[in-house]
Amino acid sequence: MTPELTVINSQNHLNLRVSPLPTRESAAMNAVSVIPHEFPRLLAHYPIFFIKSQESGRFEPVALLGFDQGENLFFSNERWDVDYVPLQIMRHPFSLVRRPMAEGVPAALDLAIDMKSAQVRDDGSERLFSEDGKATKFLEERASMMQALVTGSTEAFNFTGRLAELELLESVQVKVEFVDRSEKKLQGLYWIAAAAVEKLTAEQLVDLRNRKYLEWMYFQMASLAHVSGLVARKNRLISGVAR
Amino acid sequence: MVGGGTAGWITAGVLAARFPQRGPDGISVTLIESRTQPPIGVGEGTWPTIRSTLKQIGVTETDFLRECEASFKQGSKFVGWVDGSSTDAYYHPFTLPIDYIERNLAPYWLEGTRATSFADSLCFQTRLCDHSLAPKQITTPEYAGVANYAYHLDAGKFVPFLQKHCVDELGVTHVLDDIQGVEANDAGDISQLLTKSGTPLPGDLFIDCSGFAALLIGRHFDVPFISCKDTLFIDKALAVQVPYETEEAPIASVTLSTAQSAGWIWDIGLNARRGVGYVYSSNHTTEEQAADELRSYLQKNALSYRSININSGYRREFWVGNCVAVGLSAGFLEPLEASAIVMIELSAKSIGELLPGFRGGLPQAARIFNEMFQHRWRRIVEFLKLHYVLSKRTEPFWADNRRAADVVPDYWRQHSPWHEDFSHREEVFSAASFQYVLYGMGFEPEPMPWLLNDTDRARAREKMAEAARHGANLRAALPTNRDLLSRIRKYGLQKI
Repeated sequence: MTPELTVINSQNHLNLRVSPLPTRESAAMNAVSVIPHEFPRLLAHYPIFFIKSQESGRFEPVALLGFDQGENLFFSNERWDVDYVPLQIMRHPFSLVRRPMAEGVPAALDLAIDMKSAQVRDDGSERLFSEDGKATKFLEERASMMQALVTGSTEAFNFTGRLAELELLESVQVKVEFVDRSEKKLQGLYWIAAAAVEKLTAEQLVDLRNRKYLEWMYFQMASLAHVSGLVARKNRLISGVAR
Repeated sequence: MVGGGTAGWITAGVLAARFPQRGPDGISVTLIESRTQPPIGVGEGTWPTIRSTLKQIGVTETDFLRECEASFKQGSKFVGWVDGSSTDAYYHPFTLPIDYIERNLAPYWLEGTRATSFADSLCFQTRLCDHSLAPKQITTPEYAGVANYAYHLDAGKFVPFLQKHCVDELGVTHVLDDIQGVEANDAGDISQLLTKSGTPLPGDLFIDCSGFAALLIGRHFDVPFISCKDTLFIDKALAVQVPYETEEAPIASVTLSTAQSAGWIWDIGLNARRGVGYVYSSNHTTEEQAADELRSYLQKNALSYRSININSGYRREFWVGNCVAVGLSAGFLEPLEASAIVMIELSAKSIGELLPGFRGGLPQAARIFNEMFQHRWRRIVEFLKLHYVLSKRTEPFWADNRRAADVVPDYWRQHSPWHEDFSHREEVFSAASFQYVLYGMGFEPEPMPWLLNDTDRARAREKMAEAARHGANLRAALPTNRDLLSRIRKYGLQKI
């Protein structure tokens, strides 16, 4: 469904109520774009890979959520079943939109809401504004989440740009077999090549550490242990074991 | 290397990259460029080999595309070559016919209704060319493609781009000086070049990239030039640079070649402009008439063009003693199939592979090189001529072409071009090219029932359906040339 984005203001949206929880719609994806700032939290549950952005061909980090198009193995029975939900999903139903160009108006982004989102509902637990028109804590949190995503996306591209420059990324084909003997090959994924990391010079390593990149690299590499967890989730689904 | 044009810098780059070691255990590569002779900058069309050549030289595709105003070339489209009617056009795409490695499916196309053209039936790529689509996506790694491709490039920018890389990254010594004499030893080999500045340039192997001047192979060694003007009549070109109508105008995926009364017009879409020119036979038209035809092609009243002489032919030998000719000094043919740059690449590669470790090895290397390149030049002439003799156009230029033909394609009347017909390694034009041109131009062979069987007939049907499907899928997935080139300018391509 095409979103219907409306810039938020206290007059029009004073009484609007939204649900803060992800819905089937916002969760229906098998990989979600993530930012380095989230890596420590993601590390608890999700395998992190890199994919190429369709827009720019540059590498971006993603958390893998499932094996088939639209399959999110972390979302079942209308709820997210681990405690950390990636920002790119939590942000719903909000977006940032470019402020229309006009003379004297500096380029800026405005916080908008998707009025068609299933999270916009009369019985939603959260309001955007209090009675006196002040932004609620909820709205402020979501606004800062959006800000974090914008900054984080730039950080992520700088990070992967450096990784590519140092030829630390390699293409990987993830091949998994499920309990029913069916197989799945995931294409278009990249990871950090451990062998290439070993060849880095001391100088390069220090530089990576100073930019926090080294830390992020190890988070990514460690997160791959969760691929087997993801397979287990799929297996439970296949064998119909209730979770 | 003597000469600082396309041939000189490609050869310097290929050799310097192949032999990266300098100093006493390595080889040193020096290029001398005249201060007074500006390079010609041949051709703006290339062959897919250019991708591996550039990769080997060590430049990134992103830098190349950005700095040389380059665009993607997926083949050629010949318009009006058969009879000049409004629907007369066919493709010679770079991607091989489907199943080409395994089986020759051409006879199955020939026995069918031919409602769909040969190239459209057996190659998905024509669908991309029809819509000015790119041969790759922004996510496709450098030098890789989803369809085979080469480039159109601005030779005026390509030369300084290569020069900078060769000097800065590959350790090629660049000397700006004029050659005033050649000193030979008793055996006749060149020992050193005498220069205007007075500093002689000694060397073991001298590569003549001095263009039409042919300073070493022509002036010094006096190797005869074999003219092809009896076979290929084109001897003049009028060239113009044309801006795009709008910034969003599509960039064509192919070199467009449109037949005229006494030759043909090339039309090449670069990133920022088009390069257009009329190559014609001065025996069949005048410069004024040619300029008129070019004006009418471009729908322009006024036109300022550059006039260029084309002396079609090549040297009897290319490697003599310790001297090898590469580029225009070796030969030049009309740019119908963009053979100039690919011949430079092939020459540079062969020199690198043949380079003997001692002087005594030179005669053998020369013999191998000469045989190989005599074959290649002959084959190119033969293939270019094929385009003319298959035409049914009636103007004197075309009629004379058929009369003078010494490459009557009788062989193809009861035979479909296949691998064994082109037995040399790295033939410039393979059986695929012959198929695209013969069957693209409506050449009518006799029935060849012995080439057909039911198993392969079923397979041919499947494969043709597969090509159509593949083309439709790619059409939906690929960006336009212009879109991809502007993204590459902005974001670059990834190495992996």
